[in-house]
Amino acid sequence: MSAAVSPPADVDSRRLAQREVAISVRRVAKTFGDRGEVQALEAVTFDVRRGEFVSLLGPSGCGKSTLLRIVAGLVASDPGGEIEVLGRLHVDVSDDVGVVFQTHNMLPWLDVEHNLRLAAEVRGMPKRELDPRIDELLAVLKLEAFRRSYPHELSGGMRQRAGLGQILALRPQVLLLDEPFGALDALTRDQLNIELLRIWQEMQQTVVLVTHSIPEAVFLSDRVLVMSDRPGRIVEQVEIDLPRPRNNATKATPRFGSLVVHLNDLMGVR
Amino acid sequence: MFALLAVAWEKWVDIFHIKPYLLPPLSKVLATAWASRAVLFRESWITTLEIVQGFGWAMVAGVALAMAIHASAVAQRTVYPLIVAFQGLPKIALAPLMVVWVGYGTASKVLMAFLFAFFPVVIGTLGGLASTSPALIEHFRAIRASRSTTFRRLHVPSALPAVIDGAKTAMPLAVIGAIVGEFVGSEAGLGHLILEANANGRTDLLFAALLMVSAVAGVLYLVVELAGRRVWWRAL
Repeated sequence: MSAAVSPPADVDSRRLAQREVAISVRRVAKTFGDRGEVQALEAVTFDVRRGEFVSLLGPSGCGKSTLLRIVAGLVASDPGGEIEVLGRLHVDVSDDVGVVFQTHNMLPWLDVEHNLRLAAEVRGMPKRELDPRIDELLAVLKLEAFRRSYPHELSGGMRQRAGLGQILALRPQVLLLDEPFGALDALTRDQLNIELLRIWQEMQQTVVLVTHSIPEAVFLSDRVLVMSDRPGRIVEQVEIDLPRPRNNATKATPRFGSLVVHLNDLMGVR
Repeated sequence: MFALLAVAWEKWVDIFHIKPYLLPPLSKVLATAWASRAVLFRESWITTLEIVQGFGWAMVAGVALAMAIHASAVAQRTVYPLIVAFQGLPKIALAPLMVVWVGYGTASKVLMAFLFAFFPVVIGTLGGLASTSPALIEHFRAIRASRSTTFRRLHVPSALPAVIDGAKTAMPLAVIGAIVGEFVGSEAGLGHLILEANANGRTDLLFAALLMVSAVAGVLYLVVELAGRRVWWRAL
């Protein structure tokens, strides 16, 4: 076994390892079609600790998005599997969980501020609690100047940021991200990933990110779960022991490079 | 364009010596329209009210029915085929029946306008409701929006542009419906005036009435168009 999967050495990761489990996935399988023709997931089992940033990495069509939707409670898994989120058996969408999808979630007829408010309003958050939070989010996401702009007036990056903001306004303990920046150009994507890390470090949510980008997974995560081709299952876990806070310089370190190469090997890229 | 058409009409009649009972010159038509303006406006108002009421009911019933069809699989299998089958019926043929059922007065005209306008409203609304982005529907599920919240805050605004399109098709049809209703049997309205002018050989008055019909139709369409501009996200 290579050095990349050896036990974590630094203090930060050790402390992390002792934290309680936030998400527990046990033998979760999923077949599509009336007669179970297509097996998308095959008995997936993994844990995510509280405050941990975990990536699900796999080739397209490996069922990683389906797995995320099952964890979110949006899609039912086959009988026999079990999911616990924050200690509760998870059968439906829960108030502790926020989900951001690849396509932005903004309503074209609402301006940025009202889009940011949407999810929280729907969940019945009182106005006096929501107002200061929106102001804060607009500042954090650098969208203050676009408070009254409509989605079609924004760049793709700003739309995705506002989409993330709408979910952050819920203050979810668990954040599930399905390639939230997948549709953006590489430059914007890198920029947003750095912002995402900053926000995560401040708010300390538990994050599960679905991605097919190896450098992205390495840069963001505490741990990467590598999934196989369909039927998807987790074939390897890789602890990412890069020190935090991470920034662009992190990507130039030898450790970053060797982790990327190691994950490339695991995914069969030569 | 209108001016060109007006000049062409005037000259055509003049050059080819067309008999006035076939095609009166535009100047004569306008003179008659001015002389009979009180009658024209009175009859126009009656017809306008019929159209607006028929159109209004078609909007209310059409949108409500489309919602029901969209929401219920049972309605989709039962009501929807019924409406489509009914649309296949030439509604002009129903006009005499409407007079028999609800009488000689304005109610039968309102009903005819309603019947003509109803279908495009249903189809427009249904199309709009079905075109709601699946990604946004999933987003609303993920934020635990109730069915009614999702409907109010997502489906309704998503459907509005298509509802407006339906209304734009429906409004001219409501005009046709009301006039047809008046043709079949009435004591008032522009359709009645047209028949009366025709019977009396008053082609000039007939043309004046026709101009009023198109003016009424134009103004009513403009109202729908202007209302539709409030749904500005349609073009996005």
